[in-house]
Amino acid sequence: MKIFHKNDGGIVQLISKDKMKEWPIELPLIFIEYVRNNQLNTYDDNKLKKDIEQYLDEVLRDVAIPGLINVLDGNDQEEISKALSRIEELAKKNIELVKPIKPYVENLMKKGDKTLNVLCKPIIENFDKAERKKQLAEKRKIMQKKEKEFLAGTISGEEYAKARKEYLLLKD
Amino acid sequence: MASKAESKKWDIKEAKKLFQEYLNKGLEEEKKEIKLPEDTVKIDDLNKKQTLERIYELTDSIIEKIYATGRPSIELPSRTSTNIIWDEKNDLLLLGKQIMEKQFHSLASVADITRLMKVLEKVNELLLKDLHATKREIFYSAVQLFGDQKNSDKSIEDVATMLYTTRNSTHIVASAKGSCIGRLRIRDRNDIIDLEGLGSGGWTISPMLDNIEILESDAEFILVLEKDAAMIRLSEARFWRKYPCIILTAKGAADIATRMFLRRISKELKLPVFTLVDSDPYGHYIHSVYLRGSKRLSYESPFLATPNIKLLGVLTKDLEKYKIPNDCRIPMNQTDIKRTKELLGEDFVKRNKAWEEDLKLALKLKIKAEIQALSTFGFEFLTDQYIPEKLSTGDWI
Repeated sequence: MKIFHKNDGGIVQLISKDKMKEWPIELPLIFIEYVRNNQLNTYDDNKLKKDIEQYLDEVLRDVAIPGLINVLDGNDQEEISKALSRIEELAKKNIELVKPIKPYVENLMKKGDKTLNVLCKPIIENFDKAERKKQLAEKRKIMQKKEKEFLAGTISGEEYAKARKEYLLLKD
Repeated sequence: MASKAESKKWDIKEAKKLFQEYLNKGLEEEKKEIKLPEDTVKIDDLNKKQTLERIYELTDSIIEKIYATGRPSIELPSRTSTNIIWDEKNDLLLLGKQIMEKQFHSLASVADITRLMKVLEKVNELLLKDLHATKREIFYSAVQLFGDQKNSDKSIEDVATMLYTTRNSTHIVASAKGSCIGRLRIRDRNDIIDLEGLGSGGWTISPMLDNIEILESDAEFILVLEKDAAMIRLSEARFWRKYPCIILTAKGAADIATRMFLRRISKELKLPVFTLVDSDPYGHYIHSVYLRGSKRLSYESPFLATPNIKLLGVLTKDLEKYKIPNDCRIPMNQTDIKRTKELLGEDFVKRNKAWEEDLKLALKLKIKAEIQALSTFGFEFLTDQYIPEKLSTGDWI
C-alpha cells in the first residue's frame, strides 16, 4: 500500500501501482475517478489532497495509459473499442494526460477499419482542437506583446498588423 | 425541547500510539528479506494464473513419468504435525521435506489417487471458469467416487498441499457469515465497494477473498465484535466517523472467511486489532481463535490467525471498575468453570499475565456478563464511554 501522512498523525493508504498493473485495463481509470470524485473531498488537509492528486496522475501515466496503449497495439477488436471509448472520455476531461496515446490512435485510423474509425475520429478531433487552442494562445500572447510595442512606438504598424492577422486567421 | 448534547470525543492516544508502532513495524518487515529454514518449503497464497501454472507443472511431471517408466506416481508432502512448521517469527507456514508417494498402479492407493485426480480436475475447471465452489459442492460433483464427504475433504486438502498452496487459492471456499463496516474501500472484481456507504448492515464478507482487493483506507485500528448486537450499536453511532476504524463481526464463533479477511486487512494495512467479546469463557475462546487459529494446528491456521490481536473487553475486572450492577452479572455454571480452567491451561494464556489474571478473577468471582450488560448505563455508554476510554487509556490485554 502507498502511505500518505495526514497533519494529525493519521494516514491514508492507497493500493500500490504494482498491484494495479495486474488489473483489467479500464479499472485503473475507474479507480482514479472514484478516488477523485468520492474520497478526495473527505480529506481535510490540502497537502494530503495535493499528494494524492499527484499519485493519481502517476497511476494514470504509469499504469492506465500504458495499459491502454498495449490494447491499441493488439488485435482484440472488442478490447480496442472499449479502450477507445475510455480514451475519448479522458480526452474530454484532460487532453494532456492522454497525449502519449495520440500516435497509436493515428495508426489505428490508417488501418481503415470503419467501426474503429468512428471511435478514433472524435479523439483525433479533440487532439486537433487542443493543439489549435494551444497555438491560438501563443499567437494571442505574441499579438498582445506587439500591440504594446506598437503603442510604445518601438515597432511599425505593419509589423503589428502582421501579428494580428496571423492571430485572426487562426481564430477563424 | 432541549436538543441532544453532542457526546465527548476522547483522545484515543494509547490506541494511536499502538497504531504508529504497528505501522513502523509493518514497514520495517516489508523491507526484510526472509530466509527460509533449511529443508522447508513455503506454502503460498496464489492467484488464479499461478495456481493453474502449478497444476500444469504437476500434470507435466505425471506425463513424463508415464513416458519414462510406465508406472506414474504422485509425490505429496506429508501433512502430519511433524511436517508442518509454523515460522511464527516470519509468520509463514512451511512444509518439511517428508514426502509420501501415491502410485497409480497400486491397488492400495488407486481409490485415493482417483479421488485426488477428480478434485484436481474440478479445481482446474473452477480456475479456468473463474468460479468458486464449497467443499460440499465438490463432494456432490462425484458422490459415488467419494462415498463420504470426509473423503472429498481429505482430497481437497491433499490437492492444496500437493500444489504447495492454500485451499482458497484452489477456489474451494468456506461459507461466510461475517460483516464489515467502516473506513475501508475495496474492490470485488470490477466493483468498488465503500464500506462506509452500505447502510447500517455493512458489507457481508465474501468467501471469495481472491476477488477482493483493498483499495483505500484511512483507518487507524480494527475492532472485532463478537456479537451482531454490538455491531448494530456501533453502526448506529457511526462510530468509525469519530474514531477512524474498521469494524467487523462474525456474529458469534469466528468463521474461516471472516478470520481470513481480518488477517488480510490487518496485515496489509498494518493496523492494530482489538476484540470486544462477552466477559465469559466462550468470549475469551473466540478471541483466542482470532489470535491463534483453532486449537489443532491445522494446515491453514497461519492463514487465518491474527497474532497481535488485543483483547479490549469486556474483562472481568471491568465489571468491578464500571460497577456493573449485580443483576446484570450472570453466575458461571459448571461448563463455564471447566472452560475457564481449560483456557488457563493454554500456553498462549500462560504467556500473557494480564489475561491469566483476568481469567483467574472470573474463576474466583464465578461471574460472567454479556457486552449488552454495559447498556445498563444507557445505550450510548458502549460507544461514548466504554470503548473510547479503553482506547484512550490502553486498558486492554
